[in-house]
Amino acid sequence: MTVYKYFMKVALKHKFIILGYSTLFLLVAIINGTIAGTEELQFVETDLNIGIIDNMDSELSRGLVGYLEENNNIEDIIEDEGYIREQIFLQALDGAIIIPRDFDEKVINKEEAIELYKDDRRIGAYYLEQQVEKYLIFANATYEDNTFDMDSLKSALNKKANIELIETKKGLKNSRMDIWFKNYYNYTSYIIIAVYIAVIGMVMIEFRDKRLEDRMRISSKKNFSLNREIYLGQVSLGIGITSIFILGSLVLKGRYIGEVEFSKYMINIAVFSFAILCFTFLINNLTRSRFTINGISTVVSLGTSFISGVLVPQEFLGERALSIAKFFPTYYFVSINERSIGSFGDIRYELLMQMMFGIVFLLMGLYFARPRLRA
Amino acid sequence: MIVKVDNLVKRYKELIALDHFSMEVREGEILGLLGPNGCGKTTAINCILSLLSFDKGEVEVLGKKMTPDAYDIKRQIGMVPQEVAVFENLTVKENIDYFCGLYIDDRSLRREYVEEAIDFVELKDYIGFYPKKLSGGLKRRLNIACGIVHKPRLIFLDEPTVAVDAQSRNFILEGIKKLNREGSTIIYTTHYLEEAEMLCNRIVIMDNGKSLVSGTNQELKAMITTTEKIIVRFSQDDDGIMERIGDIPHVIEVTEEDGDYIIKFENGINNISNLLEFIMENNLIYTKLYSQLPTLNDVFLELTGKGLRD
Repeated sequence: MTVYKYFMKVALKHKFIILGYSTLFLLVAIINGTIAGTEELQFVETDLNIGIIDNMDSELSRGLVGYLEENNNIEDIIEDEGYIREQIFLQALDGAIIIPRDFDEKVINKEEAIELYKDDRRIGAYYLEQQVEKYLIFANATYEDNTFDMDSLKSALNKKANIELIETKKGLKNSRMDIWFKNYYNYTSYIIIAVYIAVIGMVMIEFRDKRLEDRMRISSKKNFSLNREIYLGQVSLGIGITSIFILGSLVLKGRYIGEVEFSKYMINIAVFSFAILCFTFLINNLTRSRFTINGISTVVSLGTSFISGVLVPQEFLGERALSIAKFFPTYYFVSINERSIGSFGDIRYELLMQMMFGIVFLLMGLYFARPRLRA
Repeated sequence: MIVKVDNLVKRYKELIALDHFSMEVREGEILGLLGPNGCGKTTAINCILSLLSFDKGEVEVLGKKMTPDAYDIKRQIGMVPQEVAVFENLTVKENIDYFCGLYIDDRSLRREYVEEAIDFVELKDYIGFYPKKLSGGLKRRLNIACGIVHKPRLIFLDEPTVAVDAQSRNFILEGIKKLNREGSTIIYTTHYLEEAEMLCNRIVIMDNGKSLVSGTNQELKAMITTTEKIIVRFSQDDDGIMERIGDIPHVIEVTEEDGDYIIKFENGINNISNLLEFIMENNLIYTKLYSQLPTLNDVFLELTGKGLRD
């Protein structure tokens, strides 16, 4: 096992990459855990500051102002787009509405009835849009015999739904911790990709150096045995790196593993690690350039994290981004973490997809390795 | 024969790197493979070692056909490549141990061999050093240690003294002699004719992928017509002197190089007295005059019409 032993020795020379990424990651996880512990469940209802100009002044438009006034602060503003946008930018307003003179008619015709100014980056804007939409849809629905039924509209707007919380899984009583574990493991995908490609890539550059490879090829060590030890080294390194992050979650929140779907995270990260190991195998057979490996490590880890829902939740991502994300295992890894499961059957598709990606990467890697293996 | 190469042809598309190259190596000798850069020496070695496939010909090593999976033969071969091929992230000792481990499984034997190799190349004081901290000469020694650590019966050394200072070069050449004395057969490629003359029992001269001639140093020199060279420099220029020197008995060629006249003779008897007689008759004054026996470069020059370092 000389090759294996020295593969691991060379890998340890790159320990600073592993240590650097792990330390940063665990620090962020600790900070995240502290914040999550104090704020996560303390939902506070906040009023939005909404600027309104009512140019219509009809019963329907006054109704909209009144409806918004029930849960928000209404501010007087002037009808100047620059001024309104500035107020929103300065966060003096969460949004602004200008009701036009033909408001009623536009509602009847289901046209865009108001001018809405908002900051899309803020969740309040999303909520304001929802409230306005709700009012306009209901108003349109109550229009009959050339008049809006304002009583029905108010009654519909005030209707509340009764929500009964059903506990779906025995023993899972700590949703705050589930969110922490979900976020933690989502972020491991980024770290695993970056570290696997960077570290294994760097070691393989050395082992795949043409001059050294020739030297190994003329030795009496069988090619099969040589490659087996190198691949065993890669697998061990992969297991070692993934274990660091699993261990990290146990050290930080180990006492809660009984309260979250820990086995789901374990199976998911194991399958994901396999897929990324195969991806690393492919990359190592495509290039021997240090620069390219570092580039791929950064671009793929960050890029897939952005479009797969690690950095931004999947529900906020565009359809196009998600469609692209489906061509890489991270999407399926995150999908599993985001979901509460009844049994492993619920996530078999996502697990299978990750496995499939791994196998495809492996086969592609073998295809590109063919000339070298044949030589 | 420990190595037998017969009619080896290796093509890279249009380029013929080896053109019906043949060679034989006897057990216990140091065979020099001599030729200018790019003549096909490294290609020949790579084909013999099955690192490169070839289009035609046969290679036998240790009496068996050499193939990429002839592991029993490979066990007895050591190779020191032209470029230093070691792990940058392993120390001197770890590198030697790694390459020894590719041949030797027994741990205690390996430890013993590694120590011996370190002693052989005198790298004891550097065992914990990483290659990037070593000088060029020390790196070359490490490169050699990695190739010979498993005590091979047959060693290929591909230009191991290129870009090495004089002190390290002497160390390496002495080491090669020692390896040979200890029983290893050595195939040594070089384009330095002095090294080949000094080190090798037999020499194969290569050019353009072909083996031109082979034999001992003396045998090769006996193959050419030049038997003596006299180099002379005169204090004054004299028109038509080259033609007149050409009339001296046994002179076969006169050339001028940086003011020196190089006179080749085909017979080694009384050449200097004949030349001195010519100088006196023509009232010439010489500032330099010495006689030289032909070198391998002369052999190469006569065979190919060009010098080894052209």
